[in-house]
Amino acid sequence: MTRQEIAERVTKVTARELRRNIAEIRESDQFAMELGADSLKSIELVAAFEEEFNLNLVEEEALKVQSVGGAIDFFDKIINKK
Amino acid sequence: MKNYELQDIPQPNLIENIFPYSLPPLIKFEGKIQETIDGKTVEFDPNEVKTRDIHITDTTFRDGQQARPPYKKEQMVKLYEMLSRLGGPNGVIRQSEFFLYTKNDRETIDACRNLNLKFPEITGWIRANKGDFRLVKEMGLKETGMLTSSSDYHIFHKQNQTRKQAMDQYVEVVEAALEAGIRPRCHLEDITRADLPGFVFPFVQRLERLTEKQPDNMKVKIRLCDTMGFGLSYPNAAEPRSIPKLIWRLRNECGVTPDRLEWHGHNDFHKVHINGASAWIYGLNALNGTLFGFGERCGNPPLEGAIIEYIALKGSLSGINLPVITEMVEYYEKEIGTHLASNYPFVGKDFNTTRAGIHAGGLRKFEQIYNIFDTTTLLNRPPRVSITDKSGTDGVALWVNDFLGLKGEERLSVMKVAKIQRWVMDQYEVGGRMSSITDEELEEQVKINLPEYYKQHHRN
Repeated sequence: MTRQEIAERVTKVTARELRRNIAEIRESDQFAMELGADSLKSIELVAAFEEEFNLNLVEEEALKVQSVGGAIDFFDKIINKK
Repeated sequence: MKNYELQDIPQPNLIENIFPYSLPPLIKFEGKIQETIDGKTVEFDPNEVKTRDIHITDTTFRDGQQARPPYKKEQMVKLYEMLSRLGGPNGVIRQSEFFLYTKNDRETIDACRNLNLKFPEITGWIRANKGDFRLVKEMGLKETGMLTSSSDYHIFHKQNQTRKQAMDQYVEVVEAALEAGIRPRCHLEDITRADLPGFVFPFVQRLERLTEKQPDNMKVKIRLCDTMGFGLSYPNAAEPRSIPKLIWRLRNECGVTPDRLEWHGHNDFHKVHINGASAWIYGLNALNGTLFGFGERCGNPPLEGAIIEYIALKGSLSGINLPVITEMVEYYEKEIGTHLASNYPFVGKDFNTTRAGIHAGGLRKFEQIYNIFDTTTLLNRPPRVSITDKSGTDGVALWVNDFLGLKGEERLSVMKVAKIQRWVMDQYEVGGRMSSITDEELEEQVKINLPEYYKQHHRN
């Protein structure tokens, strides 16, 4: 999967879970600060990423990801085993 | 001023010589305790407690029963059997005292004796008059407690006697006991409110003279009854409330040996457990208590608390069978119909249950952070979490993993239980709920949101 495909899916899931307009979401956006995810919403978002990419993530690592761009890099690294 | 430098170490220092986790936290002392008596400094060596034959005596069926509806005979027999198992083969629970007044009392003693258990030894309790003494003789007991009230509150205002009349009457019954080959145990009621040099010490010295030629197993025992919970363990507290001074004078000025001294407390000022433990440390051997602290008014020293204290002081289980405590509380709840406060230490429903999300997070990462000792092994009570709006996703994860019995790598992450946590939060934020989520409700959520795990759990 290319980074572009991963980015599209991360953005789509983020918009759906955090109830945002997909066009407004930037890679630089922080889930908590810019997109308003509280602690439970952040966990639900990671759970949604797990479903989207059919992965079982390590909790400590997954919850460290703070931004949209960080999430794209995180999944790019896992999926493409960089 | 001493300068302390940060020691930035790679591995944590969990101070395991004091907090072994496999045992309750240990009590260690680093020096002697000083007390001022008659203007002079006297010393107590608290480490002596490690070698002295400290033990517990039980009064669940006497003082413990004065404050509640009577137990049925079969209940007492069952509890007696459990006391025996709890205290173990070394007799950490050494004796248990019983009323002798009713037919039911006497039949209960017979039934307990028929169990042929070495510990706890059955002893009696009577008022200090010769008529009552006949009951002890008839039951063939080797030792009996007798009420020998020691404060003027009792002697003057309850018994309408002079001090001499009271003392003579007490001594007469002690003599009768000795004559019959029954060991007397004088319960000096209200001793922490008594005139010690004016009555208590002369009485004890008279008892000592009376039994000085008796063999050791017939010498009089002295129970120090802090009837109203006035006793104080604080260093240099004034007499008659000072526990250290009382024990020191009885040992050093009256010649009573520690094996013949016993502490019996009451909890009117929330001091019942620490006073009993302090009495051990300050030099007497027997701590008298009741199961779960049931007793007159605010209760007696909780026996299970004394058991934990014993282990902490001795540094080993010494044959104690701790999970019996959990069996006992279940028996009280299911068979006797008595429920303890949920936050009651060691046995209450929630004694090792956390509700705070931050604590649940700690428990998930490393159980020892928020569990007092290995309660799973020692008490058959794994630490739990109670789910509310404050317990967080960590709390739900902990509950779900424990419910499903998942360990190590199998344990589900917070992401896997996020839907359940959302349901929990909706109960409070949308539904305005004010109570905790029940185990049954959570089980239902597991069934809905984690059906594969739920099915697997039921197959197992």
